[in-house]
Amino acid sequence: MAKAGKWLVGWGVILLCYYAGIVISASFHLPVPGTLVGLCLLLIMLFLFSGLDSFIALAATPLLTHMSLLFVPAVLGVGIYWQDIMQNWMAIAIAIVVSTAMSLGLAGKVTVLVFGKRGNDTDNSQI
Amino acid sequence: MITALTHSVTLQGMFWLTITLIAYIVGLAIHRRCYGHPAAHPLIVTVLLVAAVLMLTHTSVQKYQVSAQLLHWLLGPVTVALALPIYRQWAQLKHYGWRLIVSICAGGVIAPLLAWYSLWVFSAPTALQLTILAKSITTPLAMEATRQIGGIPALAAVFVIVTGIVGSVLSGWVFRLFNVQSTDAQGIALGTVAHGIGTARAIHMGEDVAAMATLALCINGIATALVLPLLYSFFSFLG
Repeated sequence: MAKAGKWLVGWGVILLCYYAGIVISASFHLPVPGTLVGLCLLLIMLFLFSGLDSFIALAATPLLTHMSLLFVPAVLGVGIYWQDIMQNWMAIAIAIVVSTAMSLGLAGKVTVLVFGKRGNDTDNSQI
Repeated sequence: MITALTHSVTLQGMFWLTITLIAYIVGLAIHRRCYGHPAAHPLIVTVLLVAAVLMLTHTSVQKYQVSAQLLHWLLGPVTVALALPIYRQWAQLKHYGWRLIVSICAGGVIAPLLAWYSLWVFSAPTALQLTILAKSITTPLAMEATRQIGGIPALAAVFVIVTGIVGSVLSGWVFRLFNVQSTDAQGIALGTVAHGIGTARAIHMGEDVAAMATLALCINGIATALVLPLLYSFFSFLG
């Protein structure tokens, strides 16, 4: 019972931040999506009330773990754009395969440079 | 939320939600059978199975989307819930400081620019060019950002998933080619460029590598979803 209550509180806070984010984004005509404002609100809430962590975790962890399930309706709708995809399949393939591979390599390279010598022998004992 | 619920708490809604859940459970089982190989992502199996049932029952995708609205609606709250992993990695972020931020920003700028450039060179339609910009960030944020800049959210979801799979599959080979040996650097690159699927790959490389990847995924996701709409409104203001 206590767990169900915790779950409800967690969901309540998430929904509160979600709707507050949408209202704030819409009423101030922000170019930033409302859900992102909601994310920032929840982050602020977590920092203000550190006890909230376990409540949010109870509600959010199943949702975060099985996020892929939520994309199903959207991905099925992609059929409408089939023609656009086929007409540009080469460009899309290069953009996704070649550019992703290059970005991965370059991002890794930059990180090695930025971290300097620390990158290889980072002291992880403190974490 | 109310309309999403009323559409789902009907016989039809329940039917399609159940079908989707069963398909997803099968997808998860297959993913486990393949030892979590990125190419066996549960979403692929789920979408194929649901599409098969739609075809067999002669149901249109639009009708399915109305019935399964609840799932789509949950994308909003799940985006907000991303605050939790960020909050939990905060200590890591403070520990690595500016180096981590600079590394993530570098990857976060390189990946969309290269992808966009490939489409631009082939003069693909503008909507596609705008959609590909979000391909390296986590799906719910990518869909939200593309909606905001006039791209195609559904297509963004597909681009993002495929990018994650391709990035994870190619990562070992790419890191050898570019001689990136530090596992920390590999984790950051995977999280920045290949979001959640890349992070799942990084988990095999150790807990602290996975933590770096999660942090990279969160920061790049938020930064990109913030910067893209701002840049877009700036440019449309100019033009």
